[in-house]
This record gives sequence, C-alpha cells and structure tokens, in this order.
Amino acid sequence: MTAKNSKIVPANQALSELDYANFDESSQYLTFSLNQELYAFGILHVKEILEYGKVTKVPMMPEFIEGVINLRGEVIPVVNLARRFGLAANNVTRRTCIVIVEVSSDDSAQVIGVMVDSVSEVLEITSDNLRNAPSFGAAIRTDFIRAMGKIDDDFVVILAEDKVLSIAEMAMVEQVRELAEQEGLAP
Amino acid sequence: MNMDAALQTFFTESRELLEDMESQLLQLEGIDEAQLQESLNAVFRAAHTIKGSAGIFNLDFIVAFTHVVESVLDRLRNQQIAIDEALVSLLLSCRDHIAALVDAAEAKEPPDVSAGEPLLAELQQYLAADAQPTSHAAATQVANTPPPFERMAADAVSNDCWHISVRFGLNSFRDGMDPLSFLTYLGTLGNLVSVTPLAEFIPALEQYDCESCYLGFAIQFASQASKQEIEDVFEFVKEDSELHIISPNSQLTEYIQLIESMPEIDQRLGEILLQCGALTAAELQRALSRQQQQQPTAPIGEILAHGDASLNPVLDAALTKQSKVRESLAKEQKSLRVDADKLDHLINLVGELVTAGAGTSLLADSLGDGNLCESVSILNGLLEEVRDAALKLRMVPIGATFSRFQRVVRDIAKELGKDIELQITGAETELDKSVVEKIGDPLMHLVRNAIDHGIESQATRLAQGKSERGEISLHAYHDSGNIVIEVGDDGKGLDPEVIRRKAIEKGLLDEQSNLSDEELFNIIFEPGFSTAAQVSNLSGRGVGMDVVKRNIADLRGRVEVLSQLGQGSTMRIILPLTLAIIDGFVIGVADEQYVLPLDTVLECLELNSAELDSTDEPYINLRGQVLPLIFLRDYLAVRGSKPRRQSIVVVQSGGQSAGIVVDRLYGEFQTVIKPLGKLFSRVGCVSGSTILGNGTVALILDIHGLLDAMIAYEQLQYRR
Repeated sequence: MTAKNSKIVPANQALSELDYANFDESSQYLTFSLNQELYAFGILHVKEILEYGKVTKVPMMPEFIEGVINLRGEVIPVVNLARRFGLAANNVTRRTCIVIVEVSSDDSAQVIGVMVDSVSEVLEITSDNLRNAPSFGAAIRTDFIRAMGKIDDDFVVILAEDKVLSIAEMAMVEQVRELAEQEGLAP
Repeated sequence: MNMDAALQTFFTESRELLEDMESQLLQLEGIDEAQLQESLNAVFRAAHTIKGSAGIFNLDFIVAFTHVVESVLDRLRNQQIAIDEALVSLLLSCRDHIAALVDAAEAKEPPDVSAGEPLLAELQQYLAADAQPTSHAAATQVANTPPPFERMAADAVSNDCWHISVRFGLNSFRDGMDPLSFLTYLGTLGNLVSVTPLAEFIPALEQYDCESCYLGFAIQFASQASKQEIEDVFEFVKEDSELHIISPNSQLTEYIQLIESMPEIDQRLGEILLQCGALTAAELQRALSRQQQQQPTAPIGEILAHGDASLNPVLDAALTKQSKVRESLAKEQKSLRVDADKLDHLINLVGELVTAGAGTSLLADSLGDGNLCESVSILNGLLEEVRDAALKLRMVPIGATFSRFQRVVRDIAKELGKDIELQITGAETELDKSVVEKIGDPLMHLVRNAIDHGIESQATRLAQGKSERGEISLHAYHDSGNIVIEVGDDGKGLDPEVIRRKAIEKGLLDEQSNLSDEELFNIIFEPGFSTAAQVSNLSGRGVGMDVVKRNIADLRGRVEVLSQLGQGSTMRIILPLTLAIIDGFVIGVADEQYVLPLDTVLECLELNSAELDSTDEPYINLRGQVLPLIFLRDYLAVRGSKPRRQSIVVVQSGGQSAGIVVDRLYGEFQTVIKPLGKLFSRVGCVSGSTILGNGTVALILDIHGLLDAMIAYEQLQYRR
C-alpha cells in the first residue's frame, strides 16, 4: 500500500458526503494525533478511549491489525491506524491510546479498537469551517477523508470511519495477500 | 398500543400454535376416545385463536380460510363427523396453508389464496356431509341423567331463554368500551329477563386498578335473534372478553362446557353452578348449610356430589376444572419465558465474573495472606457453581426438534409408498439451545436418507422376513460430557462392497487399498459420493452426507456410522454439551499464551534439544513412532528469545498426531469461548479466543486446522 493514492474522488460525490455529515451528525469531533498530524473521528462514532494495554497478536493477519483486546468480556480487534494509512508506526509511549469506535458494516454494528499516538481533545467544528477533501496531495487515501476541518489556521483531517475501518476491505487485504503467497509472489 | 409489536407477537404465537396443531394432528390416529377429544379440542383452540387474532389485524384472508377449517374441526369435536386418515392429511395440508398465509402476511406479500381453494372444496364436503352423530357420548350422558332438567326448568333458566355469560376484558375501559352500552344494545334485540353482575373478579382494594374493567354479567335473554346476531352485539369486545352463549332449550352438557371454559380463576363451585343455572339458589343454600354441619373443610363440590348423585356430570366437570386451574397455576410458576439475548448477556457477565475471580485469586496468592486466599477460593467455588447454573439455563430438551420429524417421516414415507414408524426416545435429553437450532438440518438429511435408502419397500421387507412396517428411531442420551444422537433404521444397512466399488469408480479410493468396514462406511461422507442407483428428488445426488459432516464438525461434533448388512444402520452424532465452554490446555510461547482444546492433547514431553540439534529434521522418535514437530514460535511468528528448555505437547486430530513445541505449559483451564469476528475469519489455525484470569485475550488453536495447514504448506514446498 502506498502512502499517496492517486484515486480521485469526484467533487460532487465528496460534497454529498459532506452534506450528509452536516445533516445527520453533531458537529463535534474527537481529535488525535498520528505522526504529528491531526486527525478526527465524529464523536458519535467514538464509544470510549482506553489506555494502551496488552494486545494479543493474531497470527497471519496484515500488519495493520495490531491484535485483539478484552473490552469487558468482548474480544475486539485493534487496528494500528498509522500502518493502516501506510505511515510509519511510532513506538508505544505513555500517551498511546486505543480509541473504541463503532462502525456499521452490512447493517451490523462492529466495534473496533483504533490505536493512535495520542488523543487531543473534543472540538466543535461548524459546517462553514468544513472543506472538501483535496483531490490529491493528502498523506492518506482520499476516500478515507470525509472532510477537512478548519481550526484557526490549521486543518484537521476528519476521517470517514466506515471506509477506514471497513471490515470487508480489511479482510480482503488479507485474502489478497494469501493468494499472492500461494502464487509465490509474496516473500 | 404499538400495532407492529402486537403483530409480531401474533406471528410468533401463530407459529407456535400451528406447531402445536401439527403435533396434535399427528397424534389423532390411533388414540383412545378421551385423548382424541382432548387433542381435537387443542387443535380447535389453535385454529380458533389464530382466526380471532388475525381478525384484529384485518388479515381477512387468514380469517376466511381458518374459519372453514374451524367449522370442520367443530363438527369433528362434536362428533358429527368421524376422524380418518384422509381427513388428518387434509387438516395437515390446511395447517400448512395457514402457515403459508401467516408467512405471507409477515413478509407483507400478497397471499396465495388460490392454493387454498382445493382445500376449501374438500373441507366443504365434510361440512356438507350428513350430520349424523357417530357415537354421541354426550347424548348418552344426557339420557342417563334426567333429573337435572326438571331443576333447570324450575329455575330462572326458563326453556326459551338464552343464557349469556360475558366477562369483559381488563382493558375494556382503556380501549374506550362501555359495558353498559353493550347491554343496552342487546336490549334492542329482545328482552333482558335478568342481569346478574359477576363480582368475583373484582380484586381487593389494594390491588384494584380503577382503570381496569373487572365486570362480568350472567344474562337471561329472551329473544328471537340468532346466535350469530347475539355474538355480533359483542363484536367489539369479543377478542379479549370471555363470552359464552347458551341457546334456549340447551342440554346439560352445554353447561358443563361453560364451566370448563370459564375464565380460569379459583372460584367457588357453587357460584359457578348458580351462575349457569344448573342449580337453584335454594339447592346451593342447602348444600352450603350441610357443608357447615358435616365438615367445615370439605369442598362444596364433594358435598353436592353426596347430596345428589344425578348431578355428577356437572360436578365432575367443575371439579376437574378446579384442579386444572391449580395445575396450570403451578405450571405457570414453574417456567418462565426469557428473551434469549438477556440470557446471553447473563452468561457473558458470568463468564467475566469467572475471569475476574481468577484474577483475584492470582492476586491473593501473590499477597500470601492465608485468610484472603481462603475466602477467595470459597468465592471462586461459588462462582463456578453460578457459571454452571447459568449455562444450564441455555439447555433445552431436544424433544421439540425430534417431534418435527413425525411429520417428515409421515409425508416422505407416504410419497415413497413405504410404511414407516418413527420411534423417539430420550426426547427429554437437554442440550445447548444454539446446538439444538443447528442440529435440525443435519438430522433432516439423515432421516431422509434413512427413509429413502435405508428402509426397503414393503414387498422386499416381507420377502426378507421383516415386518411390513419399517422403523426409524431417533434416540438421544448423555455420555460423559457429550450428547449422543442416534438416527437408526431397520432397513437394508450399508454394503461395504458396494461402497468400495463405488469409491474406486469415483476415484476416491485406490484399488489396492485395504480398508476396514468402518473406514469404508466413512467414505459416504465424502463430497459427491452416493450409493443410490437412481437420483430421486429426496436424495441420491451425493450432496448431503458431506454437508451433514461439515455441519456437525462446525458444532465441534463428529459422526460415526454403525451398520449391519440386512439389519439396518445407525448414524451416531456425538456433540459437545455446549458451544460456549470447552476444557482447554494453556501453553505459552514467549509472552503469548494459547489454548489447546484438551481433548486433542495426548501427552506432554520435554524437548531434548541435544537430540534435535544433532539432526536437522523436525521430528522425533516417540516410542518407535515418527512424531513430526511444529515449532509454534516460528509458525506463528512470535517474537522473543527461546528459553533453555522447551516442551512438546503431543496432539492428535483426525487420525494425525504431531508434537507442538512450546515454551511453557500452564495446565488445564475452563475456557469460555469468545468468537473472533468476521475480520479474522480467514485465520485457519485459530478457532476462537478466550479471556484468561489476568484479563488478557488468549487465542484458541484449532489443531485440525493447524495440521491441515502444515500439510498444505509441505505440499506447496514440494511443488516448488
């Protein structure tokens, strides 16, 4: 997976997604940092934030799957967001957190832990401060970006949770890798 | 009221009633008179309830069809027509049609009413048939008891009066109904001779809800109106009210029925009798006073029985009713309907509690406080009991699943022109609800196979000196932590030679291979294998047995085949009691812990590293056998350095053994299985996860998958 993906999202499609965000969700966002870059999840998707603890590795999974944790008796997967974006992963520090996010896929809600470098704060970004994702030039895949939020002079990347954490896509990555291995293409 | 929720309840209830109806119908043939009557009543009630409820929701197509069925059932019940096999079949088809209509209503699709038309035509024949009673038990009863009639005639129940007993539903006021208006309207149809309010239903002041309606009336009504017209008066409240109308000049038996169908409250007998006019007030008074003289504790029913033997039919009915009321009350308290989700939540919580308990006990041990350790161990003992009790809540008897097959056997046997009886034993055997839900399909395959391939045609059976009627048995029992379900038949059995020939033909078997009968029988589970010479619409396509095997493997169970040529065969399904918990064996590699299912573990050895270092081959000599080794650290790519001493866990699955090389052995652990979810569905060697005492997640290794993966990997290496 390359860091820069040249896939271009038509502007009108991005706009319609933006409208949806304004219409249906509150304008509050949880911001967090990843490789010194600021990202945000819609607050309605975030269930809780945990301190990084023991994560059990699951063999034969792509690198961005950190493993599984015990969330009060439920076993839930943890995604290393930096690796998911194809960025360099930082070491675990005292500020490393797991953000528990709920996304819906195939009409069932899925709870996923997301490992981030540090959680910053909950911000209110009004709709007039939202901008469309740039067609190119972003550090991550453009379809992962729901919108860009303007805070003073800075921009925060508001993520499209359902795309970033799509179970179907993440499971597919594994399949592709497996196939490649069988064909003798992978190392 | 939320109509959608109510509608959903209607669908669920209807299905239950239809199932009940089916099992009752299947019983109808060949039972004695008394039971027959009871079964017929049950079937009638089911049909009636469905019709009534469907009316509330304006599902007119269900009402229209069910009404005709109900009429036929009513005639059956009144013994105006006799029950026979053809009628049972017809009623079963009707049941299916009602089920289809209910399904259509739920799916909000237009119902296939036309499918019901031939059924309706057949039903009409029974309705049109001459209504001569075949054996009118009630009539003889009446003939034997002439005296009560005089009494009835002498009492307020004059011969030309209707007796109407109505008890309004609790919610009548809330639904905006005024009982008085019904009585007023009734008055326009004829003359209200007397109206007696029934006050028994009014509770004590503390429980009295001023918005509920506790009213009931016994009405003497003189009118030329038809029964239907009188019923129509109460149209708006008839769904939740108790309404009984007894026509003028009625016989004693009608009153007996009224007593039997009265609302189930523990009411004094005398009052019941007085209400329906079978007794005069004077007689009741006499009986009451005699009761006081004799024995203050004797129930009034007995006194009356002593006083006037001629009243026996009425009294018997009333007495049975009283005891039934008590029985049903006792039953209500015995079982409780609970939402499955709530139960799952409870079991999850209990699982966590056990985990937390294990953590506490670890902590207590490390603190070394004797008193604390002791109290923690008592706590954990109790926790385990709570867990076992909670898991038991999910256990349901397999009987309901078994009895479904009565119908299947009956229908398929008929289709194939065979005469087959289904024997069910061990229906009370309990197993996990989730297992019960998933075992239905494999059982269906096995039963169909038994009917189609197992049992021979009647002619063949007779020629072989067997009884004409074939027998299929479903048998369930517990066996040391497992549940065993056997599907047996007394048919022709499996012929190892035929299987062998077919297997070679299909390339599943080498011609030189020398297999035992048992191993040959197992070939029938191979995909694409079928011994049937002809493909029927039931079986013979060679799909089925492999699906059965896979489904059962999914439940962590296995199938065995026992067969005697010419004597029949038995498929034995062995399943774990529950899907939620297994006995595990915890092992460690570096910082990670893994759980192996204990039943796959044979023994543990120390790895002699000197022996291993001298050769490159990853196998050891275990008492003369070659034992291939799997280095878990390398296979699972676990980081961390090797300890000086490693151990080998010898595991076995599917006839293959292997040694798994691990760093540490932690021992047995009761493992609550947690599914890993869709994301990890591709990881073949992990079957699930569990939470250890210290709160971390451990993966459960799937030995079978692990061995398969190793074999596949080796083959890949060879190809390169």
